[in-house]
Amino acid sequence: MTLTSFVVKNALRNRRRAALTIISVAISCGLLVTLLTLQRELTIPPESEAASLRIIARNKVSLAQPLPAKQLSTIEKIPGVVAVSPFTFFGGNFREETVTSFAQFAVDPVRFRNLIIEGRIAEGSYDDFINDRTSCFVGADTMKRYGLKIGDRMRFTGTFYPVDLDLKIIAVYQGTVDDRGVFFHHKLLDELMGNPGTVGTWYLRVASAEASNEVIARVNEAFANTSAEVRAETERAFQMGFISMLGNVKLLIGSVSSVVVFTLLLVTVSTMSMAVRERFRELAVLKALGFRRRELFSFILAESFGLALLGGSIGIFGAWALWTGIDLQKLTNGFLLYFEVTPRIMATGGVVAVFLGIVSAISPSIAVARLSVVQGLKTLD
Amino acid sequence: MAAEPIVVIRELTKSYLQGDLNVTALNGVSLDILPGEFVVLMGPSGSGKSTLLHIIAGIDRPTSGSAMIQGINIANLNESQLADWRNQNVGFVFQSFNLIPVLTAAENVELPLLLTDLSSAERRKQVATALDLVGLADRGHHRPDQMSGGQQQRVAIARALVTDPALIVADEPTGNLDAKSAGDVLAILQSLSRDAGKTVIMVTHDPKSAAYGSRSLHLEKGEITA
Repeated sequence: MTLTSFVVKNALRNRRRAALTIISVAISCGLLVTLLTLQRELTIPPESEAASLRIIARNKVSLAQPLPAKQLSTIEKIPGVVAVSPFTFFGGNFREETVTSFAQFAVDPVRFRNLIIEGRIAEGSYDDFINDRTSCFVGADTMKRYGLKIGDRMRFTGTFYPVDLDLKIIAVYQGTVDDRGVFFHHKLLDELMGNPGTVGTWYLRVASAEASNEVIARVNEAFANTSAEVRAETERAFQMGFISMLGNVKLLIGSVSSVVVFTLLLVTVSTMSMAVRERFRELAVLKALGFRRRELFSFILAESFGLALLGGSIGIFGAWALWTGIDLQKLTNGFLLYFEVTPRIMATGGVVAVFLGIVSAISPSIAVARLSVVQGLKTLD
Repeated sequence: MAAEPIVVIRELTKSYLQGDLNVTALNGVSLDILPGEFVVLMGPSGSGKSTLLHIIAGIDRPTSGSAMIQGINIANLNESQLADWRNQNVGFVFQSFNLIPVLTAAENVELPLLLTDLSSAERRKQVATALDLVGLADRGHHRPDQMSGGQQQRVAIARALVTDPALIVADEPTGNLDAKSAGDVLAILQSLSRDAGKTVIMVTHDPKSAAYGSRSLHLEKGEITA
């Protein structure tokens, strides 16, 4: 026999309780990892290197307010602007869907080409997209999800705009952080709307990330004190603005996660306290035989640590396997795009499990330290 | 030349608070025990016999006085030193056996040896010898719940013996046993004293058990009366 096998035998002496403890830690750690992954998914928008080179300029009053199309000539002349295109969110519903999870944008295909930095054309030709005003340029994820192919038509019912779209798929892109969008000609939207002379937002590309702040200031300044003042910001800041509309998701999920961890702590502390309390007289006997406090601490810590770590590992790797194996994008109709259980999230779960193992051993260890051999033996006799 | 006493107790007192009441368990006890003696401590409940045994065994501390065991005043040892001292010098036999239920008989006997530097093979050899001494060489792989009370107490004696201590303390070791098993256990303790030269100190209420000892001491109200 070794001290390790002694600890293992003690930990498994009440197999049902050990199993229930491991299961409860596993479920809680799995839940924690899931919540942290959800928090990441909702609060960290897809980020690419190219995003730092792009700026979105919208109406200062509200995103819903359009901007005059004539602003284009002014923006083009601003130093530091490499490319600019109108970028108007259509917000239509595809086919019979009541909520469509991928966005459709009206762009100037020629100008928009210079704004695409990442990704590649997977099928078809961008030149064909430029030349066909009723065509669209579609992300590979959307093509795959709906089983579409080049030449198929995509029909959208307008929700923001009182017009419907009937577009022919002419090219497919992939390799961006979000391969779901559909892009079509702004001229088509203008025609359908009776040429209102407006755009939703402006999409700009700057020469370098360092230049973006200066360009943002110049764009804002260029339209200051006009009837259509703009608010320019980086693509990332723009995405974060959308997320803030969801409310303080981070705080909400953080609160739920804290409750999960706290409940888990109560479960493991209670289990370890029970396990040690029912063994008081045995621990007194071990003391009588010459085992010192630090050895008894080690036994309790190893047992508590072992149960928490085993449960934690099952929960963390279980959550990883579950969310890696399930096509959540399909399951949630595109709401959850990546739902990636990152090594950092798994490590956080591991740290929580280790923390539980240590903290849950403290109270029983103090009780054992205070235990006198004589008192401990009396609990027996 | 007379042998030096292994246990020298002088003016030992022990008092403790029980609620608001100050209880004196031992009141100026002095006592010498020679190596190889089988001393039986007798007396009514609350007379202080178990307290005296606990102090000699180093699991309780006196309020005043000295307890020199093998020339060491154990009252001066700190918690950690006392634990080491117990492991090397004292073997315990309890009324309720106090075996660890999830361990086999051999593993229970091996427990005190885990604190030593002995190799696994050396430990196994000593465990086998100890189990053989108590007549349980063939029961090493059985767990306590697969053994009778008498057998469990013999495993406990093997555990007490395995580190080869000079002193064996037994607190009512036959209290939970039938007459036959009690006789077997007492015979082993007697043999350890008489044949192996171990000093055995036993607390009992039973005069028949006391008859196995080489000397009986009677305690009443914390004092040795006979």
